[in-house]
Amino acid sequence: MRMLNLQRYLKRLQCKRISAYFLPGDVMLLAIGVLGVFYLFQLLWSTEHATKVQIRLADKIYATYSLKLQREVHVPGKLGDTVINIANGKARFAQSPCQGQYCVHQAWLSLAGQAAICLPNQVSLELLGENKPYDSLNY
Amino acid sequence: MFKIFKSLVLVALCFALSACFKEPLYHSQSYVFGTLVDISIAGESDERASMLANHVMQDFQNLHNRLHAWKATVANQPSELGELNAAFSNGKTPLNIRPDLAQMLLEIRTLSEKSEGLFNPGIGQLIGLWGFQRDEFTAVTIDAPQIKALVKANPRMADIVVSNQSVYSNNSALKLDLGGYAKGYALDVAVAYLRQQGVKNALINIGGNVIALGQHGNKPWRVGIQHPRQPTAIATLDLADGWAIGTSGDYQRYFILNGQRYCHIIDPRTGYPAQHMQSVTVLVPPQAANKSQAGVLSDVVTKPIFIAGATQSSRLAQAFGIQDFMLIDEHAHITVSKQMAQKLHWVNADVKFTTLP
Repeated sequence: MRMLNLQRYLKRLQCKRISAYFLPGDVMLLAIGVLGVFYLFQLLWSTEHATKVQIRLADKIYATYSLKLQREVHVPGKLGDTVINIANGKARFAQSPCQGQYCVHQAWLSLAGQAAICLPNQVSLELLGENKPYDSLNY
Repeated sequence: MFKIFKSLVLVALCFALSACFKEPLYHSQSYVFGTLVDISIAGESDERASMLANHVMQDFQNLHNRLHAWKATVANQPSELGELNAAFSNGKTPLNIRPDLAQMLLEIRTLSEKSEGLFNPGIGQLIGLWGFQRDEFTAVTIDAPQIKALVKANPRMADIVVSNQSVYSNNSALKLDLGGYAKGYALDVAVAYLRQQGVKNALINIGGNVIALGQHGNKPWRVGIQHPRQPTAIATLDLADGWAIGTSGDYQRYFILNGQRYCHIIDPRTGYPAQHMQSVTVLVPPQAANKSQAGVLSDVVTKPIFIAGATQSSRLAQAFGIQDFMLIDEHAHITVSKQMAQKLHWVNADVKFTTLP
């Protein structure tokens, strides 16, 4: 069977048309190769840039947004509204009703795994990516 | 042709299955101890994991209410620590306390001795004076004479006399603030409970102090260590079964007055906040049953090192049997113990640091 195929293949190779160089199996193999490379690229070459932001209010997930779309989110916390900006693959606390403003000072976050918390208003941001660089943060 | 198609389908199936074989991971978050509590449980059904996590959160809330340092009642429950502090300030009136609280006091006394008095939860009055017994930290007016008086009064854990469940203090200036102990203690309580319930894999984070149970899938739990001045991790490391990690920093609880940073870690010798460190991280192995547990040590041991500075770090860590630690001083210079250097994965590969011999 295999020999027969090879003979046929060699016969077709003698023709000059380019399409004749490829049998359907070759195309399939190529496709698998390309898909494989793409998959491995996704798996191993995941840049650390985040794709989504998860907003939590107290013990609940308040919302999860893509970082691609520009957006202003108002989260009604214990003390009042926390304003979160999302733009160009980044997210930040823009305004907070808390005293310390530590959360606002964290400025823009853009990498997967980065997080900012407003303890007084119990609002937290966590950036999510393809792969989590770590399971939890020690601080 | 059909054969090739079949193998293609097989390949696709393999990819899909590898995604499905991921262990279930339950994750819950809450605010207790005035900070963020984060519990991950792997390998249990969502229903059971949620039940277990809720139980742990409830335990934490109870501990928080019992050990609250500056509210007399929390959630209509009188703070046992508040009652104890009131008794201390009234002179040598013995007070009956619950056995586990008596145990905690004895443990804290031992730890305080080991730290050469630098870990001293008896200086609650100083902590209050600096404005760190509030939900939010704003600059205070520095009351130098009062600070001096409180340092002179020299409240120490050794002033506490515990006999059975009856407790009194020889020093009426002693006021307990367990802010450097309770979270670590709670980690150990949670791990003991989860183990007893047959949970194999969990990761618990209370305000940055993290303890691991088992692992995550076929890999150890991985923890990021916060950069003290940037909103990102400085390094990551694997936290093996039973290990705990703790960091004390000047970047979570602090205020700035006239351009000077004042953090929540007070040097009991001077009465002023320690000012020569940005952060101190310790990694604690599992401990024998009759000793202080990993959670408690991860909370406690960072404090004396933060106060005493880099030159004393090896000696102090050794006193608690700890070999893995990292210091970032006021000039952002990083020092890492030899053992710790082998475990850290730096986020920025160009980072400069000194490894201790």
